Amino acid sequence: MRVKVKPLECTGCALCELACGYHRDEAFSMISSSVMLYRAEEKKGYMGVIVKTAEDLFIGKPEGAAAMKLGELQKEGASGGASAKPILVREACDMCESAGLEPQCVAICPQKALYLE
Amino acid sequence: MDFMYYGDILVVDLEAGTTEEVEIDEAWEAGPVLPAALELFDKHAQDDPLIFGSGILTGTTAPASCLGFALGASPITGGPAVAPLNLFAGAEMKLSGFSMVLIKGNSPGPVYLWLHDGVADLVDASRITGKDTWQTCDAVRDEMGEQLIQVISIGPVGEAKSDLASFSINYWGSGDNAALGALMGAKNLKAVALRGLGMIDAEDPEEFYNRTMGLLPGLPSEKSFDWAFEGLGEGGLDAWLGPLVHRYRSCFACPCACNTFVKYNEDPAVMGSDGVQEPGLMVTNPAAALWLGQGGWSPEGASRAMEAMARAGVDVVRGSREISAEPLEAPGEIAAAVEALTGPAEAAWPPGEGPAEGGIFGPWTPPSSSGDRWLEVNRAAYVLGVCPLFLAASGVEREDLLELCVPAAGIKLDAGGIKEMFDRARA
Ligand code: SF4
Ligand code: SF4
Ligand code: SF4
Repeated sequence: MRVKVKPLECTGCALCELACGYHRDEAFSMISSSVMLYRAEEKKGYMGVIVKTAEDLFIGKPEGAAAMKLGELQKEGASGGASAKPILVREACDMCESAGLEPQCVAICPQKALYLE
Repeated sequence: MDFMYYGDILVVDLEAGTTEEVEIDEAWEAGPVLPAALELFDKHAQDDPLIFGSGILTGTTAPASCLGFALGASPITGGPAVAPLNLFAGAEMKLSGFSMVLIKGNSPGPVYLWLHDGVADLVDASRITGKDTWQTCDAVRDEMGEQLIQVISIGPVGEAKSDLASFSINYWGSGDNAALGALMGAKNLKAVALRGLGMIDAEDPEEFYNRTMGLLPGLPSEKSFDWAFEGLGEGGLDAWLGPLVHRYRSCFACPCACNTFVKYNEDPAVMGSDGVQEPGLMVTNPAAALWLGQGGWSPEGASRAMEAMARAGVDVVRGSREISAEPLEAPGEIAAAVEALTGPAEAAWPPGEGPAEGGIFGPWTPPSSSGDRWLEVNRAAYVLGVCPLFLAASGVEREDLLELCVPAAGIKLDAGGIKEMFDRARA
């Protein structure tokens, strides 16, 4: 079971990032979550969501969604562009187990763009 | 205030080129919210202040907690006027490390203010003088090497101090209907750039978080407020823009998504980012589309016109009213019409609507944009840091949001208390 993304459902509210960050820090910030909204190409209306696990990144790009092993990603030159780098140094998703909660990013997403599979 | 705000008040003296941090006046129990800014505005009136800030809940999991504000003397009315900082700008303002920013005086040369992680820099802007807001946003982001910087900037129209000027947020038209963009021009302030990696603490984080999670299921997650735009025919704005629609976008933390990205320089169905560099526009001012649509413009012509206005730093709503009667299609003609815009001074709005009492809050978005209700909605929205459109149209209970201020920061607020704060500020 893992968190997956339906990228075209996402509207870019960043609530998932906030919820994950809260679960880590008990505060609101956009720097420590394991799920990240990719919004660096704003002028193109291009946006996606990336979830970091211990082994891979699940990258939900508008063109399609797929998991990519961390090793492959580094070889490819960090697909995901400007925002992939910070996520590589973040903590991996633990499905919110350390907080004893159901996956909070999935629970908070108003567009049901995140799901478990 | 120990919770919900992060950092001191920053005072920027543009004439001297200095910045200074001062503590928040503890007399304002609710912290550095808009009424406190109004009091500061009066206190520094001789310096023609421009103040940026946010609300109590801005930047949290409270629904639609995207809202910050800009407050300054409107060149149109001469009195104080507020413009919303939505999209991601309000949250970034709060996370930048400053609770409120007071900018006074005029700079001898063009500058932009760069706020990041508790550091404030005045940066020489001569390189970007005369540039449009898109070029300015790109230049600032490239210069600072970070694509997520939020850039509140003016274009040539703001630099010329036109009454039709408005600041843009990144590339998109803002709700500055009060020509605060012209005030920025008068100050020689080309932009305010924001990036914050800060953290916002709640007094009782678990209670706060759980309550916000509890609110979400009852809220709408529509991708627009169509009912507000019946003037564009059946299906409202979405149906009208239909063939151009690429995606819908939310502001920070908003369950709705009333910003519509349209593509007209590329097939809207193209999802990748390898194609056209500037494929279209995010429609952030639906009222502008309403003016143009009712004037007989095609969705594509209207979108091109809105883009030209957002780029030039023209108020997209008032500018659209100005050009609405003569629909154009050719990009060159549209660009020329926007360039030729010199507007009347009064804020423009569809008949029957108008700025809220006192003129402090602009109309921004119909249909609830006049009278006491809009005034009350705005007062609560700006103190809370929650989008006024969301507050007016989503069906969210205002009391539920006000009650969030207790676990957030130990503050008990109700509508009467908020009114008193504004009365006290203006006394
Ligand atoms: S499941 Fe929990 S830990 Fe994993 S990304 Fe979502 S919020 Fe973060
Ligand atoms: S919460 Fe959902 S809609 Fe919002 S950014 Fe995350 S995935 Fe997208
Ligand atoms: S209602 Fe619209 S303008 Fe307001 S926060 Fe939500 S998306 Fe932004």
